[in-house]
Amino acid sequence: MSKKFKQGLMGLTMVFPSFLLLTFVCIVPIIIAIVESLKNPQGNLDFANYISLFAEESSRNNIFFTLKVTFVSVILILVVSYSLAVYLRFSEGFIANLIKKTYMIPIFIPGIIATYGIMNMYENHGWLAKILYQFGLESIPRFVYDFKGIILTELWFNIPFTTMLLGAALVGIQDSVIESAKDVGAGKLKVFFKFILPLSYQTMLVALTFIFMGVIGGFLAPYLIGPNSPQMLGVAMQQIFSVYQDRGLASANAVLMFVLSAVVGIFYIRTMIKDSDLN
Amino acid sequence: MKRILGLLTIGIFMLGLIACGSTDKGSTSEGSGDNGTDANIDEEVEISFYLTGSMNMKDLWDEIIPMFEKEHPNIKVDLVHMDASGGPQAMLDRMEAAKAAGKSSGIDVFSADLRDVVRGNKEGLWAKLDEEKVPNMVNVEGDYLEGVDYHGVPYRASSVVLAYNSENVPNPPQTADELYDWIRNNPGKFAYNDPATGGAGNSFMVSAIYNFLEPEALLSGDHDIMDKWDQGFELLKELHPYMYGEGIYPKKNEGTMKILSGGEVDMVPVWSDMALEHIDRGLLPESTKLIQIDPPLTGGPVYMLAINDSEHLDAVYKFIDFSLSSEPQSLIVNNLNGYPGIKFEEMPQEAQEKFEGIEGNYRLTNLGDLEIEMQKRWQKEVATQ
Repeated sequence: MSKKFKQGLMGLTMVFPSFLLLTFVCIVPIIIAIVESLKNPQGNLDFANYISLFAEESSRNNIFFTLKVTFVSVILILVVSYSLAVYLRFSEGFIANLIKKTYMIPIFIPGIIATYGIMNMYENHGWLAKILYQFGLESIPRFVYDFKGIILTELWFNIPFTTMLLGAALVGIQDSVIESAKDVGAGKLKVFFKFILPLSYQTMLVALTFIFMGVIGGFLAPYLIGPNSPQMLGVAMQQIFSVYQDRGLASANAVLMFVLSAVVGIFYIRTMIKDSDLN
Repeated sequence: MKRILGLLTIGIFMLGLIACGSTDKGSTSEGSGDNGTDANIDEEVEISFYLTGSMNMKDLWDEIIPMFEKEHPNIKVDLVHMDASGGPQAMLDRMEAAKAAGKSSGIDVFSADLRDVVRGNKEGLWAKLDEEKVPNMVNVEGDYLEGVDYHGVPYRASSVVLAYNSENVPNPPQTADELYDWIRNNPGKFAYNDPATGGAGNSFMVSAIYNFLEPEALLSGDHDIMDKWDQGFELLKELHPYMYGEGIYPKKNEGTMKILSGGEVDMVPVWSDMALEHIDRGLLPESTKLIQIDPPLTGGPVYMLAINDSEHLDAVYKFIDFSLSSEPQSLIVNNLNGYPGIKFEEMPQEAQEKFEGIEGNYRLTNLGDLEIEMQKRWQKEVATQ
């Protein structure tokens, strides 16, 4: 046996357990879901479930609503987290230190507790309304059972981790790079757009992928805080599966969600490959 | 003859027990003395009681069974408790399979809701009961027995009722039409939960639709009736803008109780037992009152069933009979906040006071998968407007 062959065998043996896990956790269920989604109520194979997924107005609204929530969340989370990460990287002082020490706290609060906490905070007779009432403000816009509520919860859940991720990338940028740029006369904005942004945007793409996947497949917050209609895909899927007991339609929903995530996944992988080619 | 006499003696004794009230120590001790006349049960028998439901059900029976065993020392009750999700299904499958194979399933007594009773009845799983076997049946509302053709007795029930804030609503609606008018006149002050997420909202929806139909329709799972739902759905759509937040339906039964306790709304449909427990624990303010409207919102009893192939049917009948006697019934009312299985007139004064306003009966439903069809249509037409 040649050395190369041995090494190859070794590599395959090491990959095998995770491949096995992937097979049963992802690949097999996905195939089952695809087959299931192609079965109509009579048990024949056709596209009936997909047709009703797109033909029915309420279901179409659900898809648009899910995409809207996802895009708005992704943009807001990236903007807030990136600004925060940049601020924390380049600022000293009491406030910056305090934020550095505390911004991770939301990660340690279980999702269900945080969701109910957000409901108590923002609902019509919640803490925020009570406090603002003391200052003469009669009513606040509706957050709970609304689009805005879902966005708020997604911000809460995603900002700490994204900030951490982007923060790590920014720490990787050497002070010397920035200082030398400044020495040759680059202004603050120029330093940011020519050095900081290009050097951290790859991490930003990683963060974007994580946020996108997390938000589009969300269930708990959209279920408790979201409106009755339109619903996010996760909520609709749960209702179709366990209340209506329509496995075919629920599977079609799941496949659609998978396809949407896969699009982002492919985009992410392609960018990564392109970048490594350049290097 | 001796057997009938024996049963009659016990029956008369049981009636006496009920008349004496729940905490009458005298009759209990008399009860243990009476055991010598368990004429038809000489040797010790053990019966298996299969129970499904949440933990509070197991706690209830853990109290009732020792009472029963004290009165009937020759009968041991083996309680098998299973989670409500999947439990009833698995047990019915087991009993049906045993019957098909001509074997004993090993289950002697079973407790189930109407849907499972009807399903098992089709397979002939349950023994037919009468007042000779279960003397306390005389105290049960006849309609509920006829509904299952005497193949089971309801020993407890809960119903959906209206909970309202009595400070803001001095004169609550008494009928369904008054309720709908109240909703129109008080925009934003009523909410029912998303029907797919909890029974209370589901009951409001079912009632609104079936109030336009024949009363018998509630007990039929026939899909032809779906064409006649239009009027009900029109009503629900028309009420939509008058709902809390101009059309917000909170998730789960707790969702509506939460906004009622926060003062955001003044009236919501609730499960009677849940609401009474919330009031007891201070989760709903004391000003919260409950009322049943006419025609009543839907609810459901839980039945005690004797399994046909049991080898100890005599002991089983005694056990079922005991569940309808005064002490267990008081436990159901006091500890579980459930409706008793027997008529309210037969209950102690204290229990009658607790259920003041909602003692009007509940409506039985057995719609099968029609409820799912209704929820789908509700989601499409009422929630999406």
